[in-house]
Amino acid sequence: MMFSQPMMSHQLTADADAYAGKSAETRHLKPGELSTGTTIMAVSFDGGVVLCADSRVSTGSYVANRASDKIAQLHDHIWCCRSGSAADTQALTDYVRHFLAQLAVETGRLPEVKVAAHLMRRLCYQNKDNLMAGVIVGGWDPVCGGTVYNIPVGGACIPMPFALGGSGSTFIYGLVDAEYRENMTKDEALALVRKAVSHAMARDGSSGGIIRTVVATEEGNVRDYVSGNALPYGPAGW
Amino acid sequence: MSLSLQNGGAPTRALPSVTTVHATSGGNQRTTRPITTGTSVLGIKYKGGVMLAADTLVSYGSLAKYKNARRLVTVNSRTLIGASGEYSDLQSISDLLVSNALEDRCTADSLYDEDNNEECAGEVWSYLRAVMYQRRNKMNPLWNDVVVAGFRQEPDGTTTDTPFLGVVDKIGTAYEDDVLATGFGAYIALPLMREKYRPDMEEGEARALLEDCLRILFYRDCRALNRVQIAKVTKEGGALVSEPYELDTYWDFKGYVTNKGEIGTDGGW
Amino acid sequence: MASSGSGYDLSSSTFSPDGRIFQIEYAAKAVENAGTALGLRCRDGIVLAVEKPLVNRMLVAKTTGRRIHTVDEYAGLAITGFVSDGRQIVNRAREEASNYEETYGTKIPPETLSARISTYVHYFTLHGALRPFGASTLVAAYDPGTKRHSLHMIEPSGVCYEYYGAAAGRGRQLARTEMEKLSINPARVASGGGEGEGGGGGGGAITVADGVRQLAKIIHSLRDDAKDKPFELEMSWLCEGSGWKHQGVPRDVIADAVEWAKKEIKDNAEDEDDDDDDEEEEVGGGDVMEE
Repeated sequence: MMFSQPMMSHQLTADADAYAGKSAETRHLKPGELSTGTTIMAVSFDGGVVLCADSRVSTGSYVANRASDKIAQLHDHIWCCRSGSAADTQALTDYVRHFLAQLAVETGRLPEVKVAAHLMRRLCYQNKDNLMAGVIVGGWDPVCGGTVYNIPVGGACIPMPFALGGSGSTFIYGLVDAEYRENMTKDEALALVRKAVSHAMARDGSSGGIIRTVVATEEGNVRDYVSGNALPYGPAGW
Repeated sequence: MSLSLQNGGAPTRALPSVTTVHATSGGNQRTTRPITTGTSVLGIKYKGGVMLAADTLVSYGSLAKYKNARRLVTVNSRTLIGASGEYSDLQSISDLLVSNALEDRCTADSLYDEDNNEECAGEVWSYLRAVMYQRRNKMNPLWNDVVVAGFRQEPDGTTTDTPFLGVVDKIGTAYEDDVLATGFGAYIALPLMREKYRPDMEEGEARALLEDCLRILFYRDCRALNRVQIAKVTKEGGALVSEPYELDTYWDFKGYVTNKGEIGTDGGW
Repeated sequence: MASSGSGYDLSSSTFSPDGRIFQIEYAAKAVENAGTALGLRCRDGIVLAVEKPLVNRMLVAKTTGRRIHTVDEYAGLAITGFVSDGRQIVNRAREEASNYEETYGTKIPPETLSARISTYVHYFTLHGALRPFGASTLVAAYDPGTKRHSLHMIEPSGVCYEYYGAAAGRGRQLARTEMEKLSINPARVASGGGEGEGGGGGGGAITVADGVRQLAKIIHSLRDDAKDKPFELEMSWLCEGSGWKHQGVPRDVIADAVEWAKKEIKDNAEDEDDDDDDEEEEVGGGDVMEE
């Protein structure tokens, strides 16, 4: 496992050997870089969006932070879930937040979720060689209502009724595919994300801690969390 | 390569299975790899038009991540493109071509569309060839094979009735043909299309052939889906892309339901 | 001109003692005498119309010296004054529109486009080394976000306002008076202000189809065929019918509108001859004010 490897040894390692002893998850990271090995999720419903994330930040297999907040606010009604390098996604959200604030002042109206996603996508696409970031942008706007966009590593941008991301998401695609329905209510969407993310946390070593949720609607944003000992499922299992 | 950090270059984020491209200058290592990928695009000329077909799957490695992604795009009222490969690069190519088309419309001689000539498919194809070739020479290719469909142009700029079908690949190779396929389709669908192709095919025949090919690709390509889109360009109707729809699949051949694993058999495979 | 020779009119970077910037006023003068440009906000869209004087009999007027330009899918500009100055503004507007879309992934809102154009125009009134634009710009645009269409006008000073009906160039005062009669300002209609004696009828704003005819009539009524040079009438719209795209009003529609306008003007003139000549005097007075 790569864990704060000394610079020296990294430099001297031949390229192929740079992978030696590192998991697929950590070998792309710079020395000492933190990765939000993560489960994140967003579901749109009539009138808004539910965003959800676990709270674990890891360096290799060490839990560097067990109460992290991976749901970042981009504008009044627009949020994003971060996965990948913590440093990269923090920098990205800072930029998007700045551009959105600037735009809101210039146009004098609420920015669309589409615009937030477009800004994020441009940054991710144009700097794809230097970034490790998979982001879900979601929120409410007066034009399109509740909207979710997924921006995976590489900088594509795809509108979706619901989106999953992070290392933990691969464990719950089947669950969410089976349980998702169109036109869910806010409470159904909340129940779904909590159930799904708790299942991901139970099977993905890089996801864990508490479940944070944000519900973004025209009326405002409601923050909530489920404590790590009160999850709908797990952490134990069979 | 191993000196990349000393030189201040971007450290590689390459995964072992990934193609790495080494730039010769400065000892920098640049990595370009497809991450979110679409599979085959098919194209065929028929009587009075050109037709493209592609499924709507965008994969993330082997994960079938986006099942409703559109890979066929109208560039202007009479030109279509379709692309396999990196989806973010397709989005950026499509943004580029669409914004070029808008600029053309704004800077056109006349306020009346009927007086102006939009870029024809041949021009889009040539332009794209230049873009793709330049990018690969910068060791930073756009990771797509792009099929361009539309109409040929007269030397005076007016559009002809002659259909155009061309492809540009990720290294800037460009060629035209009556039938084209990218990705897996080049191996599986192209021979079938060549066998069935006639210049005087009716629209229905062309469509049936493409649907058959997509179905076979769904059977044999692990990155394919039976949710598809068909698009056509005709002189009368211009460029049209269908909404995504699902193809029926068939599993009722006897061999599929015959058990093969019993004791006393060879177990099959 | 009172200001000539005072020394305060040599640069737009210097105010006169009574707080004026003469270079801007001269630039406005350049617009005053140019071909009339009209914009009308209708119920279902915007119509732009410009009178393009044909300065030379051998001019290929159909394709050169255009006064109406498309700057974005849903945005069009009409310019009058120094057309070459106006073209610079058009180019800038296109750049703004395309940069905005590239950056934000949505169409530039009409107010933002107009504000950015006016910032650009205004910049040329600030520096001693620059000359203000001798052109006025009408901006017709549709906002797919709010589903609203709007009309703005930017003048050489860099001011920018939104209008129900806007006019620039020769005869603009009279044109404004005429447009007011079309009851295009819903607020005024609601308060019982301008009842439609024009084509607007009693209730609410007129349609673009009607607007095309009315603008054709206004432009033709401002002219004296015996005295004025021949001209081409350029018209564009951006309406429900065009899918909110900015495009030229079909030539046959313009031809019909012009035919209707001429007949209308002739009929009115005959009516007036029967009554008295009040209206005609008013027209004459208006023209004197302009020149």
